Amino acid sequence: MKKLIVIALLIPLALMLVNCGGGKPKAKMDDIPEWYLNPPKAEDAIYEAGDAAKQSMGLAKEAADARARDAIARTLEVKVSNMLKNFMQESGIGEDAEALEFTSSVSKQVANTVLRGCRIVKREMKTEGALYHAYSLAEYNLNSLIQETLNEARKQKALYNEAKANLSFDDLEKEIQKLEAVGQ
Amino acid sequence: MIWKKRFKSSKPSVSKLKKTPAGLLQFGGCFPTMSRLYSIIVPVVFLLNGLTAQNIIPEWFEKLPDSPKGIFYSVGYSGKYQNQSLAREVAISRALTNMAKQHQVRLIFEIEEFADGRFRLLNPSFELSYDESVLLNVSTNYSPVDSSITNDGYYILIACPSIERRLHIPSNDKTWEKQPEWTKALPDSRRYNYGVGIVSKYSSWVRAWKDADEYARFDLGKNIQIEAQSVHTAKRDNRFVVESKIIRQSYDMTLKNSIIIARWYDQKNDTYYSLCRKDRRSNPY
Repeated sequence: MKKLIVIALLIPLALMLVNCGGGKPKAKMDDIPEWYLNPPKAEDAIYEAGDAAKQSMGLAKEAADARARDAIARTLEVKVSNMLKNFMQESGIGEDAEALEFTSSVSKQVANTVLRGCRIVKREMKTEGALYHAYSLAEYNLNSLIQETLNEARKQKALYNEAKANLSFDDLEKEIQKLEAVGQ
Repeated sequence: MIWKKRFKSSKPSVSKLKKTPAGLLQFGGCFPTMSRLYSIIVPVVFLLNGLTAQNIIPEWFEKLPDSPKGIFYSVGYSGKYQNQSLAREVAISRALTNMAKQHQVRLIFEIEEFADGRFRLLNPSFELSYDESVLLNVSTNYSPVDSSITNDGYYILIACPSIERRLHIPSNDKTWEKQPEWTKALPDSRRYNYGVGIVSKYSSWVRAWKDADEYARFDLGKNIQIEAQSVHTAKRDNRFVVESKIIRQSYDMTLKNSIIIARWYDQKNDTYYSLCRKDRRSNPY
């Protein structure tokens, strides 16, 4: 009877230990979509992939989509600022002085852009234990980017023409004012 | 502390037990029997729920037929009701709401992700609103096209504006087809924008479709236009690399003529898919 109790107590303990040592389940290489590892390349479009593993399928999808779009945004508009700091720090006195050299490098990528027509063209959902692993492939058509740029340029041109016209009217008004001054 | 509070409030007080004649006394007296009953009822209910998952659906629920020019279709649905007229009423109400959203809906979406070496936070937010006046207009100018009752619920297809003539649409009830391609890859079209909504593991299929439809609209919005901001930093020294990122993406837009054109239920994984479509030519967006 005692043995049974000991065994009954040991089994859950062993299971707990096995469970603790297991760690997070990892994605099998066969499960990873080919387009995630090697995103397609095209002359008229940019492709970037994103992934996320979450307990909720909805959250996994949202995070994977956001990461794929973020990669597109960074490819389009990335301002990279690299700062390399080399500094010497000396401490101690005389022969005990230690010269310590630290090299620190900070790379910072900032993206801030409006993506028009950036679509998630492919998506796959895999299960890894209790987790959902979402893979998303974002596509940004460069033709739409060119069209947007042209539209923007047209808007600017219209604004410029309007400003020029306003300037001409200003000149005319000035001339009229001059004439009125002479008449008085 | 909070748990204690909740526990106390849910426990019937002695004074209440004394005051109430039959009901609560029975509850107190038969508690062990009740718990046994619950232990049987709960698994049975779950089992029945699994068996009665949405299996049979009208053809137009899975794939919305093309409507004649100037006419819009919308689907409404309700779960099991003992009173059939009440089920119809709920389904019509849902169809009208869907029609109003289809005509015009305002979507506000934002997702923020923050991550450094130790801490990770993901916070998406979805806000959907539609105009009451649009709903009122739709409610006074629609006609039912087809309806169906299955073991799982009541389905109705309505047309707006109201039409006199009978429309020929496929009205057979059927089982779900094989996984459509659009659940994996978005349809490629110059004419339309698309969005896919996915939800999983819902106890109510009615609620699941409602959410899948709405997420499909939000997905469509993201495919049209989104503002993306992010800061990624990687700090390296002689020993460590510390990476951190902040991602923020958002939009606020009014969508017109966004239609849920297809649905698919993955019975194996209990996952619901909705496909939303919008003509690129209709403005704004």
